[in-house]
Amino acid sequence: MALDAYSDASDDALLVLYGNGDPMAAELLTRRLAPRVLGFAARLLGGDRAEAEDVTQEAMLRLWKIAPDWRSGEAKVTTWLFRVVTNLCTDRLRKRRTVDIDLIDDPADQAPGAVETLIQADRAAALQAALMGLPDRQRIAVTLRHIEGETNPDIAQIMQISVEAVESLTARGKKALAAALAGKREELGYGED
Amino acid sequence: MAKTDRKKTDGIKQNDMLDDRALQAFFDAARDDTITPSDALMTAILDDAAAEQPQPAMSAVAPPPDLALATARDLRRARGVWADLKAMIGGWPALAGMATATLAGVWIGFSAPIQLEQWSGGLILSGDYTTTEATFALEDMAPSYLGTGLLMEDEG
Repeated sequence: MALDAYSDASDDALLVLYGNGDPMAAELLTRRLAPRVLGFAARLLGGDRAEAEDVTQEAMLRLWKIAPDWRSGEAKVTTWLFRVVTNLCTDRLRKRRTVDIDLIDDPADQAPGAVETLIQADRAAALQAALMGLPDRQRIAVTLRHIEGETNPDIAQIMQISVEAVESLTARGKKALAAALAGKREELGYGED
Repeated sequence: MAKTDRKKTDGIKQNDMLDDRALQAFFDAARDDTITPSDALMTAILDDAAAEQPQPAMSAVAPPPDLALATARDLRRARGVWADLKAMIGGWPALAGMATATLAGVWIGFSAPIQLEQWSGGLILSGDYTTTEATFALEDMAPSYLGTGLLMEDEG
């Protein structure tokens, strides 16, 4: 019941409550933010769930640590978290510089039928594989813009670049994805209309 | 693959790339393909949160020893000045004693100048009333509010 009372509170307000010692705020923030952080980290890391979970725990730990000093209204909590995740993932990707795309599941191998859910999953997997073929910064910008649904100004804050640079990165990224995925259109349920 | 096709002819260039609508379908599929955090991850995150959370000023949980003094101070402050004063004096029994002493003082102040003069051998007070009475009736020992004692004397 107490959690229901907090359900309308913004992430910002909940983080301030957590910083003031409220025991309920952490649970609600975790429920809200952990799935998004995990999904974003997994996309940047090419679907490596274990590594994405490590990044998620680390990013959330940094959020708890900054809570007492959090200045309400200055930045969105998700923007701050995505920036932390971006930095953590970039560091990890740098360490394993060469990404073997062959290790990512081939969508064609796991599509025994034309079941819609499988097609959807295959599309997601094909997109993930194509994303991993992009340069890091293009992958981050495209993921934030077109999958996480962040605005260009927010992405500019997350990546600490200009809005124009974000637009350029997403445009180039989308163009490369469109080219990479063109060959998948038949097997993933698209005609050449 | 796309590059190879593009080299063949410009006529099929539109087939080398997905249009925005088709690409959007891939993005939609990716957005729906959510990952649910494991219970172990959620527990680990909440454990971290509990470990890092600042302690509230009035916690339901027993405070560590170094916070105990501060909390007691806070409680005293919240209890108020009057409660502090009462505690300093010694509680309700001491206050009752003080009230009795105060009333006795008032009574003595109204009723006993003559008695006081008698006890002091005429050294403290002087004036007419010191010579009007040498003996005392019972009413002289009672408080003489509003001069009733004097009225009774006159009538008697």
